[in-house]
Amino acid sequence: MDAGFIRRSLRRAGYGVILAGTMLAATSALAQDSGPLRFGLAMPLSGSQALYGNDQVKGALWGVEDINKKGGVAGRKLEMIVLDTQADTQLGINAVNRLISVEKVPIVLTSWSNVVKAVAPIANREKVLVISATANSPEIAHLGDYVYTAFPLADVDIAAVAKYAYKTLGKRTAAVLYVNNESGIEGAKVYRSAFEKEGGKIAIFEAYDLKSTDYTGMLLKLKNANPDMVHIQGLVADLPQVIAQMRQLGLQQRISTYAVGYNVKIIEQLGKAAEGLIVTSLAPGAKDNPRVAEYVERWKKEMGRVPNGLPYTQYLYDEPYIIAAVFEWAIKQKLPLTGENMRKGLLAIKNFNLPMTGMLSVGEDHRVHKPVYLLTVQDGVFVPLATVD
Amino acid sequence: MIDFTMVAQIFWTGTATSSYYVLFTIAFALVLKVVGLWNFAQAGFMGIAFYAMFFAFNVLHIPVWAGLAFGFAFTIFFTGLVEVLCLRTLRKRRSSSLTFFIFTLILSEFIAYLLMLFFGTEPVTLFPSILSPVRIVADIAVSDWDLVALSSTGALSLALWVFLRFHREGQFLTAVADNGPLAELYGISAKRAYLVAMTIASVFVCAGMYLFGTRAGVIPTTPLELMLFAVIATLLGGIGRIFSAALAAIVIGLVQSFSILVIASAWQNLVLYGFLFFTILVFPRGFRLPGLRRVRGADLAPKPTAESA
Repeated sequence: MDAGFIRRSLRRAGYGVILAGTMLAATSALAQDSGPLRFGLAMPLSGSQALYGNDQVKGALWGVEDINKKGGVAGRKLEMIVLDTQADTQLGINAVNRLISVEKVPIVLTSWSNVVKAVAPIANREKVLVISATANSPEIAHLGDYVYTAFPLADVDIAAVAKYAYKTLGKRTAAVLYVNNESGIEGAKVYRSAFEKEGGKIAIFEAYDLKSTDYTGMLLKLKNANPDMVHIQGLVADLPQVIAQMRQLGLQQRISTYAVGYNVKIIEQLGKAAEGLIVTSLAPGAKDNPRVAEYVERWKKEMGRVPNGLPYTQYLYDEPYIIAAVFEWAIKQKLPLTGENMRKGLLAIKNFNLPMTGMLSVGEDHRVHKPVYLLTVQDGVFVPLATVD
Repeated sequence: MIDFTMVAQIFWTGTATSSYYVLFTIAFALVLKVVGLWNFAQAGFMGIAFYAMFFAFNVLHIPVWAGLAFGFAFTIFFTGLVEVLCLRTLRKRRSSSLTFFIFTLILSEFIAYLLMLFFGTEPVTLFPSILSPVRIVADIAVSDWDLVALSSTGALSLALWVFLRFHREGQFLTAVADNGPLAELYGISAKRAYLVAMTIASVFVCAGMYLFGTRAGVIPTTPLELMLFAVIATLLGGIGRIFSAALAAIVIGLVQSFSILVIASAWQNLVLYGFLFFTILVFPRGFRLPGLRRVRGADLAPKPTAESA
């Protein structure tokens, strides 16, 4: 075997490698140009928050289905990859890491404030756009360049209910009870700040443990303080228990909470104890948007019930439309579908006219602003109370 | 401001809510005493008990008494199955305590995952409503649930005490707990004693989960969290002392309830862990009141005098 033969063999091998590499790159590019447009959804599918998480995923799935039925995005299907977070910080990090590193998605939708905060550093480091779907901690507005929210933060609806309590209901003192986690702490602070800003006084500001089942001591402190109004910043699992024990101890103050209380199950569990409960909704009802009525009918037909946390599911139905618009923008601009370009698209489009929740404007301040719908329980059903713009 | 009514209300509600912890503790302490097993599988049995009753009330829609009977029967059957098929096998193989410990823990986790598969992870209560009628007695809110909890816990505890003290089978359990091989020499079947102990424990577990499930939402992993209380109370009451453990459960429950007067309610659960730490370090054999000791029969017998000798 002479040197010339070896040189020729090496040259041929080199050509083969170049050809294989070119074909591989071309195939990948072709796949990217024609394959589905993928994004991630990290939500609690199990655990104590799955009651809301599963229904929100269902809303998003229907959003994706309806977009694809209308031809998809620039002729390509939208595909959603769903992973479970259990609303747990560590599991949320695992899920988002997998979506970014393994599934290679440029956008991730996620929720629950503790999870959004935990995955923010990953989003900023990997330059993947993370959109907070329904979390409401005001800190979400300050989590970095690659974290945005498509849902109004707590300083919108909770501030609105605090102002309503003072200005319209004439309550001068309030008690704030909150679950001792991200969702509870931030929301409670917003209520306190808004109520005091109006001139009210916070009689008691008390946290309870997420795993508590007996709130007697805390409620007796509340009884002693005798506030005009009680605001509970809890979660779907503990909220009915706190209200039930409150009523059983003879505390009859009017109670307000945020959108988590907008759930027919709470009325089932509490019966008459739920009367007068004020909840917020950041999504229009059937009277304000006829599509919402159709959406609710679809739930009844396909699932045999109304969704848990209807306003949240409305947002999740709409958020694939935001993602579709951003993908379309990038494709039209002939830009690679990276997180960086997704972010550019989000800010370039800015205003999204969404089917369930109406107009949404994404600000450079990482916030969105929406009217707040207040509802109350009357004769065992939620009825509109006021709209605060 | 703290007043007598507040203290009385915390005492009343704290005692009532300690009821299910007392039942779980008695079950755990009984199995530990008789079988000599740190039965972490009890969390799995608690899950089985709850979801069996949940199924009976919400799927089969049977009356409360029938649902309870269904829950008891299912839990007893399942517990018996574990004792006969699993624990006896480990004993035959002369497995170490560590093997038993790992087995019971894994069994609990496995059951929790199975329950998640069948029932999901949404918090559910046994009945749609978690409210019970309340009456005010001397300025204290007394609910029907409180009365049911206290009376059922008291009745079951008394029944167990009578059983262990006066019934033949109960005395056999005590004999096996004191000295298994010696008891066997006297013709007492240790196997039967273990099965009886596990059966009684499953009754207490089912009763405890009924009380808990009519007041608070449960997910498949909830029993694993409730178990910690039973373990701490058993340690504090002293290993082998069932009713001291039950008393310890009440004390811990009341301390947790009253702690609200000095610490924020967000940290109430920290009290549990503080108790565990304190108990293991300072009272590894449990807390005993000074000056009290068991009087033996020999102590009561008249002492021989010089003339009688």
